[in-house]
Amino acid sequence: MKIKNQGYNICFAVIILVLAAMPLLLSAGVITSSSFILFLGKCIAFSIVAIGLDLIWGYTGILSLGHGLYFALGGYAMAMYLKLQATNGKVTSFMQTGGFTDLPLIWKPFLCTPLAFALIMLIPVVVSGLVGYFIFKNRVKGVYFSIISQALTWAAYSLFTGLQSYTGGNVGITEMSSVLGSIKGSAHQTNMFIMFYSSLVILVVVYAVSYGLVHTKFGRLLIAIRDGENRTYFSGYKVSTYKNFIYILSAVFAAIAGEIFVNFNGSITPTQMTISYSITMVIWVAVGGRNCLVGGVIGAFLINLCDYNFSSGAMVEIWQYILGAIFVVTILFFKGGLVGIIRDQLPMAIRKVTGKEAG
Amino acid sequence: MTGENILEIKDISVDFDGYCALLHVNVNVKRNTIHFFIGPNGAGKTTLLDIICAKTKSTGGVCMYYPKDGREIKLTGMKEYKIVKEGIGRKFQVPSMFVNLSIMENMMLSLKGHKGVLSSIFYRMSKEEEESINNVLETVGLIDKKDENAGSLAHGQKQWLEIGMQLVQKPEIIMLDEPVAGMGKPETFKTGEILKKIKESCTIIVVEHDMDFVKQIADRVTVLHEGKVLMEGDYESVLADKTVQAVYLGRGGEKNA
Amino acid sequence: MVQFINTIFNGLSLSSIILLTSLGLAITFGLMRVINMAHGEFLMIGAYVTYIVQEIFVKIFPESLFSLYYFAALIAAFAVTFALGALMEHFIISRLYGREIDSLLATWGISIILQQAARSIFGMQGVNVKAPSFLNGGVSIGPCTFSHNRLFILVLVAFCLFIVWFIMYKSDFGKKMRAVMQNRAMAQCMGINSKRVDMITFSLGSGLAGLAGCSVALLGSIDSTVGQNYIVNSFIAVVLGGVGKLIGTVFGSSIIGFASIGIENYTSASIAKAAILIIIIIVLQFRPQGLFTTKSRNLDE
Repeated sequence: MKIKNQGYNICFAVIILVLAAMPLLLSAGVITSSSFILFLGKCIAFSIVAIGLDLIWGYTGILSLGHGLYFALGGYAMAMYLKLQATNGKVTSFMQTGGFTDLPLIWKPFLCTPLAFALIMLIPVVVSGLVGYFIFKNRVKGVYFSIISQALTWAAYSLFTGLQSYTGGNVGITEMSSVLGSIKGSAHQTNMFIMFYSSLVILVVVYAVSYGLVHTKFGRLLIAIRDGENRTYFSGYKVSTYKNFIYILSAVFAAIAGEIFVNFNGSITPTQMTISYSITMVIWVAVGGRNCLVGGVIGAFLINLCDYNFSSGAMVEIWQYILGAIFVVTILFFKGGLVGIIRDQLPMAIRKVTGKEAG
Repeated sequence: MTGENILEIKDISVDFDGYCALLHVNVNVKRNTIHFFIGPNGAGKTTLLDIICAKTKSTGGVCMYYPKDGREIKLTGMKEYKIVKEGIGRKFQVPSMFVNLSIMENMMLSLKGHKGVLSSIFYRMSKEEEESINNVLETVGLIDKKDENAGSLAHGQKQWLEIGMQLVQKPEIIMLDEPVAGMGKPETFKTGEILKKIKESCTIIVVEHDMDFVKQIADRVTVLHEGKVLMEGDYESVLADKTVQAVYLGRGGEKNA
Repeated sequence: MVQFINTIFNGLSLSSIILLTSLGLAITFGLMRVINMAHGEFLMIGAYVTYIVQEIFVKIFPESLFSLYYFAALIAAFAVTFALGALMEHFIISRLYGREIDSLLATWGISIILQQAARSIFGMQGVNVKAPSFLNGGVSIGPCTFSHNRLFILVLVAFCLFIVWFIMYKSDFGKKMRAVMQNRAMAQCMGINSKRVDMITFSLGSGLAGLAGCSVALLGSIDSTVGQNYIVNSFIAVVLGGVGKLIGTVFGSSIIGFASIGIENYTSASIAKAAILIIIIIVLQFRPQGLFTTKSRNLDE
């Protein structure tokens, strides 16, 4: 048991080291495209969401089909701040189109840097806290929770596309640089590297916090809730508070990821808020391996790397088929995802071939 | 000194969409006794336990609980986790532990206290707690398996684990729904001996069909029939009663499905 | 007054469309407890089948017969989605009974594949279906006009509802179906071929999605995302009504339909959509099991 857990950590450490080496490889000229580093930065953001999703789905058994909402909430809040930095606090073009001559009220707090950063963290906490409080208190669970989270995301999406003059509608908020200023082009490579390494540090912190958490009594309780929610109530635990706590935590992770994403991407659109985007996040966790934190990280990188390489040329169409098929096959036959294959199914297959010593 | 009743069930009725599972049931449970509820299937035994621990809401009546510290607690309308915290534990008919956790972890979660989010994050098991878990595991014979997954246990062992999980909670009332189902004669007897020992520190409510088991340990027996209390008394007087024989003992071979 | 009648009619019409898309879900989700995320894509397939049948009629048959294409399309859409449903049940769903959340995820994979297939075959651009001539125009009663094609959908929904009700509650097959869904092992012991019942039930749900697609084709252009536009409302309608209750789904759909039209009178369509979903989510807090529920002793449900 102990060694197995260390195995996960070693695996995570290797991923981090490989990532850390990437900017150096760019400087050394081994990698030629600096946009690849920007892409890896986004992947770091995706792994953070995946860790959060694994906490609520893999460990606690709550399947949220709406984490895109929190990802986008973090992303939009960050984008509002960055956009105002880019325009020096002037109204944006979509606001002008919407008839605003002055900044709308909800944009004003983002003029003030400390307030903006406070809000960036606070908004997801408040929203997820409220949603979680009511839903879990009323003991909505299982697929009902999934369907409601999906409807909520759909509602938010409609709202964000509908309120064009506040949010930029379908186009979203675009043309921003990062909190450190521009990170694109060779002139700003230092900025890009700082951004990349700080994101990497955040990923490590998120992993460490989550890892610590699931190895406490609290973590055991999450599994207890997943396997027998009613029984956990009858052991004297107020399950709804536990669920709400972990839900908020994972929403915050998603929001942090959204914030990192905006810095690397330079724009945010309502696409990040859709149901299909949210389910794609679940796919990362499922394919990498649920119920083990490093699984989500592996899944996020793997799927997005494929996506990156296949998103142009002849593979575009085929990739979608492969993605769908991978997903179906994973759910049907490999519940543990890739990690599960390596941990359980492969040794079993080897044992079978080498003559069933263990049987 | 507190009164001799630890639990008073007053005029409880339950109605499942027109089907009366319980009808004006009145029962008093005395402190430090082993109190049995027996009766044919559908008599409402399990429902009565459900009412006490708030798994099911009653349509009428109240349940009063008098813990050692002299308080008077109205259980009706309370949330189940609060009732557990007040010291009423329950073992379900179908063994329902956490199958993906080890036996040790199952026991750890059942310990008294540390039920809040923050205290569970910073929780470290104390020496005394570990000792008390080991003691209980020793008693129920699972000490050698304490790092195994609970899901890998045989049915009888699961029953033991559940009983152990109740013991380690140090409750004032333990409710056991068919604790010896799936156990052989020797194990059943051993369970009885354990229960006799622990009744010194708590009250035990048992629902069971095994009449030998009832005979072995019962202090008081309440016979339920079609949602009503048919009669109440000690084992001998209940056994001697003609109506009880007619509705229940006469068809003693019938166990639940 | 005229506006009031129009609002009522629009509400009725929207409700009927939501109901049609939810009926299949009421069976697959409500009865079988399978969360079929590809339900919307079955609807899309139904719509595309309508388009294909129309093209075939244009090419092969004389113009005088053109209007008949729609009836052929209804049958074809049902048949195609029924068959696809049977295939999907056999290869995927049958492995997922009792694993609700996994069924949701696996069918999402199918939905990705089907959407891409639609894009590969028909392109990114939407295609349009020409309504048969008898559905053009409308009935005028006084100052109010009721368009034929919306009236037609109403009739179609009523027909489907009757058939589903009859199959579920009045037919011999329905008895078997409910028996299997309530206790698969027990039903098998009593000699019911549960595999066949499962397959037919799931296919029936899928076939209904195909019919829904056929009627949705009349209302606007068809592209690979057409299913996604309906699926959220349909799931919510089933949950709001109470899972497993046909009457609940009828009410759930009507509430969403009428409320959407009602709110749309005051604000834009997308805000109305958001508002209605949020209101329903709030309602579900008070009745987590939906409006029509059965009391159960089994609290693990």
